[in-house]
Amino acid sequence: MEEMMCYIPENLEEALAIMDEKDAIALAGGSDLMVSGANGTGVNPSFSRPVVIISNLPELKGIKKREDGWTEIGALSTSREIAESGLVHPLVRNAASLMGAVALRNSATIGGNIANASPKGDTPQPLILLDAEVTLKSVRGERRMKVDDFILGAKKTKLEKGEIITSVLIPPSSLTHCYYRKIGMRRANAISKLTISIGAEVRDGKVVDFRASSGAAGPKVIRSHEAESILIGKTLSELTEYKEEFLDAWNNAISPRAMPEYRRGTTRRMLSFFIDALSAGVQEGIIE
Amino acid sequence: MLSEIKFTLNGKRIIYQGDPLRRLLDVIREDLGFTGTKEGCSEGECGACSVIKDGRLVTSCIIPIGACNGSDILTIEGIRDTEKGECIISAFAEGGAVQCGFCIPGMVMAAYYLLENNPNPSEEEIRMGISGNICRCTGYDLIVDSIALAAKKGEELWKK
Repeated sequence: MEEMMCYIPENLEEALAIMDEKDAIALAGGSDLMVSGANGTGVNPSFSRPVVIISNLPELKGIKKREDGWTEIGALSTSREIAESGLVHPLVRNAASLMGAVALRNSATIGGNIANASPKGDTPQPLILLDAEVTLKSVRGERRMKVDDFILGAKKTKLEKGEIITSVLIPPSSLTHCYYRKIGMRRANAISKLTISIGAEVRDGKVVDFRASSGAAGPKVIRSHEAESILIGKTLSELTEYKEEFLDAWNNAISPRAMPEYRRGTTRRMLSFFIDALSAGVQEGIIE
Repeated sequence: MLSEIKFTLNGKRIIYQGDPLRRLLDVIREDLGFTGTKEGCSEGECGACSVIKDGRLVTSCIIPIGACNGSDILTIEGIRDTEKGECIISAFAEGGAVQCGFCIPGMVMAAYYLLENNPNPSEEEIRMGISGNICRCTGYDLIVDSIALAAKKGEELWKK
């Protein structure tokens, strides 16, 4: 008999045991894996390694606010569930709500989106801006690290043998101003051409925090703490003076391969728009 | 570890014992013979294979049957003879929404999901509701109008 290549565990403990034993791939929503393993009509998909279908594990579902103020998103939470949840930061909700179209958002999971590590993936970008973390579990125990550290590059992550992403943790945010854009060829079902999140915390006319993250502008989501530090600590009236220095630093941090002039120019204009709005004393919230 | 997958298709209990990686679409069409659900792009982007799984619109080409244990699946055959299904289908006929017809089962499922969750959608909401369903004949306008017609004609039906 042919060796079984697919397993359906009924709880997390069973899942971790079989993941480790078979050095398997975990399948959550299936929206990426089922396409990459497809063999055409009527022929079942196949993969180079055994597959563990984790889609229905109850331990990996649900979104909740923890006592320490962090939001915990179960890895199997779908884009729709995230987009609809009042517990999730607006930047992440925005990204989730613009992913694919209705049916895809009902299938695609946040854990899968992170594990797939596409440079054009929609949710890692705002998660990295917010310093969100992933929880990884295996039979050896549990690890936690920033999404930014977990994703190494295009399709490359720190996921080890037998490990499953079990949750995404978003720290409480004190950003007062946020901005999000996804640029695609269409309004729906569009792979991102370019995405950006920008956030600032302004207290008494001073920028106490400034962050940005660029998606689809390099092999992974780009943040530059060095560039961000140029604007942190400045007063709103000083922003114009430091804007060009910041924009140049950000331009040096991103590394778009295809259509670099377009991606660099558009990134620059979006950042410039946000900084100008801050300088002009725009009111708190999501800047449109 | 599950050795068989139990689910319902259009209310009928099914027990599946084959490869868990088989696509839900192939189980529906090839194994169970419900050919109303169509295969278009095979990548979850065109919406032709749309079905309702546990109350949610999904594309059945990217879902392995192994993820369907305990699920209730509804295809076009499961809704066409219901009051709501008839409401949408007659509105599509009246509104001239159909040309070649290949995308229509998926469109009807998307319209059904939309109206179930939003009984009185705006034109923009209708367009978003079918934004994952590709039609190469109609240019969409008559489909959008027909869904609006179904919302209007159905009225009380969609508020249940």
